[in-house]
Amino acid sequence: MTAPAISIQGLSKQYGDLTALHGIDLEVQPGEFFGLLGPNGAGKTTTINILAGLCVKTAGTVQLFGHDLVREYRRCRELVGLVPQEFNFDQFVRLRVMLVFQGGFFGIPTPECHRRVDEILRTLDLDDKKQSQMRHLSGGMKRRALIARALVHRPQLLILDEPTAGVDVDLRKALWALLRELNAAGTTILLTTHYLEEAEALCDRVAIIDHGRIIADDSTRNLLNTLTRETIIVTTTGGLSETSLAGLADYDPTVNGGGDEVRLSFDKASTDYNAVLRTLLEGGIDVTSIRPVDNRLEQVFLQLTGRQGKA
Amino acid sequence: MNLIGFRSLLFRECHRFLRLWNQTLIPPLVTAALYLLIFGYSLGSRIRSIDGLSYLEFLIPGLVMMSVIGGSYANTSTSMYISRFQGHIAELLVSSMSNLEIVLATVLGGVVRGLSVGICVAAVTMPFANIVILHFWTTLFFIVAVAFVFSCAGFLSGIWADDFERLSVFQTYILTPLTYLGGVFFSVDMLPPLWRGVALANPILYFINGLRYGFLGASDVGIVSATALVCVVGVVLFGASYAVFRSGYHVKT
Repeated sequence: MTAPAISIQGLSKQYGDLTALHGIDLEVQPGEFFGLLGPNGAGKTTTINILAGLCVKTAGTVQLFGHDLVREYRRCRELVGLVPQEFNFDQFVRLRVMLVFQGGFFGIPTPECHRRVDEILRTLDLDDKKQSQMRHLSGGMKRRALIARALVHRPQLLILDEPTAGVDVDLRKALWALLRELNAAGTTILLTTHYLEEAEALCDRVAIIDHGRIIADDSTRNLLNTLTRETIIVTTTGGLSETSLAGLADYDPTVNGGGDEVRLSFDKASTDYNAVLRTLLEGGIDVTSIRPVDNRLEQVFLQLTGRQGKA
Repeated sequence: MNLIGFRSLLFRECHRFLRLWNQTLIPPLVTAALYLLIFGYSLGSRIRSIDGLSYLEFLIPGLVMMSVIGGSYANTSTSMYISRFQGHIAELLVSSMSNLEIVLATVLGGVVRGLSVGICVAAVTMPFANIVILHFWTTLFFIVAVAFVFSCAGFLSGIWADDFERLSVFQTYILTPLTYLGGVFFSVDMLPPLWRGVALANPILYFINGLRYGFLGASDVGIVSATALVCVVGVVLFGASYAVFRSGYHVKT
């Protein structure tokens, strides 16, 4: 039987009086695209920093592809590539030089390292910037450089900490495509993100961590199925009168979009779309479109953590 | 052992100071030239010979050692501090290099800079006094060993410092006074008995005199005690550097 890509048992981390992780258990299978979600300070970064060797665990055991993180640290580091959230470069070094050194730190012979670096630079569309100092790259280029640095030693497990934080839509889509490609080629991916729609779009499985404890760990589909409330946005012509809104009171209406859009939510167990449609028509509301609110994983997150707003 | 990793890090540390040669290699030359001009030529002519050496001859090994100490210390202290400050120390921590390989390669990077600066200063200053190195291997040993000692000291300082102010504390309040009082410009035999005793408690005095013996065959202290001291201090500071880095202090969370 193949060993799990990540096997965490009873992992704890103590910072003075603060317990960042309360003995969490987690397993990620090889080839999975796994999302670790949680609000700020929940323990996401602590967990991935322990996996990557940047943080010392207080208790528990961690195995990567069957190798113990402490006893077989060299093998474990070779298996992991970390893409941190912050741009942690030597700002004055040139991109290609940085990547060649990074390959060297992993014991890759120089000619092979040069070959790999050139290939990665082409893949990530950074070839024309290879002689630029890191400080002269744009934010998007730096983000891609972080990924390039993590890929130089061809890790089997790629860990990404908020990889699309602060990037524009085009780059986000390009990064999503790259990550899907890497995953399809067999790389296991562990992703932490604030953007829950990102996890919903990319991840096969998701764990939600809160206050240092795993409070949900299931396939994305199963987690979405736990939603009991559905939220839709109804676009109307001619706006909404006080009377028509009063008729929608059971659906917790919120008007937006200049008065011709209304957001409704209802319990799927007791109400279906037909009932909502009937209420709209009986209220004389002229409907032009109905669309579900996309970010459903956010609702799961809020339901589980009891928090409002973004993760 | 990850030899390629070790070599890569050592090369990166050398690449770092060679890239900034006008900030790392030239200033010690300028400083040494100024000292030579002021103390050697202007004031030196008024000082009687020391152990049969002209003041200019006496001065040069001390100037070489000053540059070795400053160069090796600066290399590791800034490398460690800046890599922590900018966060790229993570490049090493996530790699498959061991703690020992990381510490040794970083420290040897400082030794290479100390040696480079020392050779440059020696090459520029020696012709002024027509010095010919008397004991080549002793000279090389003291330059390398002292560079190793201060490279380790810089490593520890770079890990300990939380800000630039702290980074300069050791250099300003300990290293510089001890270097200036370590017999670069004077022989301890020129001091009154009390201050001679104080000066002999300064380890840098032994390092400078060890190098002076290598250059000129003259020293205020025994060459054996100077050799033993530099070895002991080197082993202790390297052990401390390894232990501190391995503990993750200021490096890992």
